[in-house]
Amino acid sequence: MMLARVADSLYWIGRYVERAEHLCRLSDVMLNATLDRNEAAGLVSRIVLSAVGDAELHSADDPYQLAMALALDRNDGGSIVSSLSRARENARQVRDQITTETWERLNLVHLRVTGHDAPRAFNDGASAFLHDIIADLHLFKGAADATMSHGEGWRFLLLGVHLERAQLIGRLLEACFGVRRAPDDHMALMSVLRMSCALEPYLRRFTSDVQGRKVLEFLLLDEEFPRSMRFCTARIEEYLGSAARPAEASSHTAPERLAGRLRARLQYADMEEFDGASGLIASVLDDCAALHQSIYDTFVAYSLETRLPA
Amino acid sequence: MATQDPDCAPGATTAPPAASPYDEMLTAEGGVRAHYAGLHQRIGTLAAAELAERQRTLERYFLLQGITFTVYGGDSSTERIIPTDLLPRIIPAAEWERIEAGLTQRLRALNMFLADIYGAQQILMDGVVPRELVLGAPSYRREMQNLYVPHEAYANVCGSDLIRQPDGAFAVLEDNLRVPSGVSYMLANREASRRTFPGSFRAAGVRAIDRYPDLLLATLKSMAADWRPNPQIVVLTPGVYNSAYYEHAYLARLMGCPLVEGRDLVVHDNMVYMRTTTGLRRIDVIYRRVDDDFIDPLTFRRDSALGSAGLFNAYRAGNVVICNAPGTGVADDKAVYAYVPAIIRYYLGEDAILPNIETYLCREPTQLAHVLGNLDKLVVKAVGASGGYGMLIGPHASRQEREAFAAAIAADPANYIAQPTIQLSTAPCLVDGEIEPRHVDLRPFILSGEKIVVTPGALTRVALKKGSLVVNSSQGGGSKDTWVLESAPSETQP
Repeated sequence: MMLARVADSLYWIGRYVERAEHLCRLSDVMLNATLDRNEAAGLVSRIVLSAVGDAELHSADDPYQLAMALALDRNDGGSIVSSLSRARENARQVRDQITTETWERLNLVHLRVTGHDAPRAFNDGASAFLHDIIADLHLFKGAADATMSHGEGWRFLLLGVHLERAQLIGRLLEACFGVRRAPDDHMALMSVLRMSCALEPYLRRFTSDVQGRKVLEFLLLDEEFPRSMRFCTARIEEYLGSAARPAEASSHTAPERLAGRLRARLQYADMEEFDGASGLIASVLDDCAALHQSIYDTFVAYSLETRLPA
Repeated sequence: MATQDPDCAPGATTAPPAASPYDEMLTAEGGVRAHYAGLHQRIGTLAAAELAERQRTLERYFLLQGITFTVYGGDSSTERIIPTDLLPRIIPAAEWERIEAGLTQRLRALNMFLADIYGAQQILMDGVVPRELVLGAPSYRREMQNLYVPHEAYANVCGSDLIRQPDGAFAVLEDNLRVPSGVSYMLANREASRRTFPGSFRAAGVRAIDRYPDLLLATLKSMAADWRPNPQIVVLTPGVYNSAYYEHAYLARLMGCPLVEGRDLVVHDNMVYMRTTTGLRRIDVIYRRVDDDFIDPLTFRRDSALGSAGLFNAYRAGNVVICNAPGTGVADDKAVYAYVPAIIRYYLGEDAILPNIETYLCREPTQLAHVLGNLDKLVVKAVGASGGYGMLIGPHASRQEREAFAAAIAADPANYIAQPTIQLSTAPCLVDGEIEPRHVDLRPFILSGEKIVVTPGALTRVALKKGSLVVNSSQGGGSKDTWVLESAPSETQP
């Protein structure tokens, strides 16, 4: 038994935490890539800008300013500090539902990015600053896994994590492979793998022969890599499958059906069948958006009339 | 003066305002009181730097736990930790026994008073308390008339404020019977002081308070025991922007009950439900941390979004219990307060164990004249205000402030009471690395359900500004842990 509002908050904690972690990685990779004065550096910046959906707002001229704004601009709702503030605000609202260990980790990373010395810490070493946030967020997830009951609340938290992750990776792939042909530039592809935290797992699977098509396949369809879209949709289906069902839902809930179909599409997709990936990625992203809406309608904002006692 | 029974308030009337305050640790001759000996010795062995370091560790612990309250100012609000002092305040067993007996007696009488006021009103007919004082109080709720309250336990959770007078006797300054807060700070302070002074803590033999959530749950359960064997209990909070939100979440977590907001509740057919992920679930007991005015827009304030429409009707229908009962505020009204010793005598036939502070009711013309003539010696409080607002501390106020207050009192005398300026006792506090005395009060917590339980501990609030007598956290006050001892402290220190 869990309050609908609480489930919603836990779900959003998962989403915001995942978003913050992804943004840290994007910023870090971008800053790293642009240390080199070559064409790939510009390409990486453009991919990042496009992936965060901010191509208009920020200029790619100064990646450092962009990374700093992405990290610490409180007025930008999409920044790392905004995401973490919202995650913590949601956590405060459901403070009674998460363990103290889990709360402490999130509160700590929030204090790190909102503290007075955060801009100085960023300037002293942006990479170290971003790495520390990522490490803190890993500790948060680890604490949640190790100390929270793996029940309904935990499932909503992870549902948020995996749906957000699927959408973030989807947008990154769209930015990279969607509009133009897959880049063949070795450094750009390595950067995309780093942004997805996928470099080492990719190398073990495909060796250092980094090809655009293989990168796409790995991030889209790999069964075991935790940031592939297929992996994410399989988890989503799993969490929804074990969610308690509303009394009137006899078999599968709407989100369960959507998640199952999406997972099956990615599970049985064949890379040989499609030439350009943009159509597939776009439709998967549409399905993710529909899934989000469906979860909200089914578990949080359901109509009372169907649920009142007779 | 007619309201004051002299033998109920020993000390209060005789102590001149200038009397030097009672110090919790040191005797008037400068010696160390026996129950403080262990701690005093321990502090003496710690360097100033080490004390400061422990203070920082303690503050960090509070920040990490998110034990914060929200300060509102302008269009931004910030979270701050409540200033917390390192050094515990110690109360020996014999003194506590008297406090416990006094509070138990007081709560018994106050619950009987509420049952009477909202029932036959015998005490009004007998003229012990003026009728218009009770029925005219803004906190009196006509809607509560003739409503069944299990065990006649109206004030399920009470936090009374006690002060120690210059002669060393404790007296009740006010009762908080509505939605008293601070118990989470009591528990958090304890958690912190166990880490700070583990050796002294063990040696002193401090009574445990960590069962408070459990006892609160049992109290809430007992309110539904006769009609629902396994009641669904929830904590109702105004939400995350409330200054006591941390406490609401803390108690919900430690009791294992859902923390709900008004928007989670649905009332249908006079039953209260909460919206869960799988549909509606019935609620039996609501431990509400929302003021009376806001719990039901249909019955009370129409502009409130913090409660749930129809909640009060469900309560009237007997389908849900609201704790504390609405309307308990009439018994902690600052004017009704003056009658509590008489109320205790009326219902229990006993003298009050814990005396009141002498109180002048400005509604009485003779007392009004006395108040206006002695504003420079008195503390004046607006009857309806709390949290240290709407208050004049005569000896510390400027001439202009006193004149402005005199005009306000003359315009609406019934809204004001006055009390002599009491020198609150002082306890040693760590201020800027030095140990200095600061004024303190004492807020113990009393649970009333099937039975009355006084938690053997309290929140000691501290006026951190030198010489200040105002301990409210909204006015620059802090808090510290309170050790209630099991027996005399053992002779041997580890």
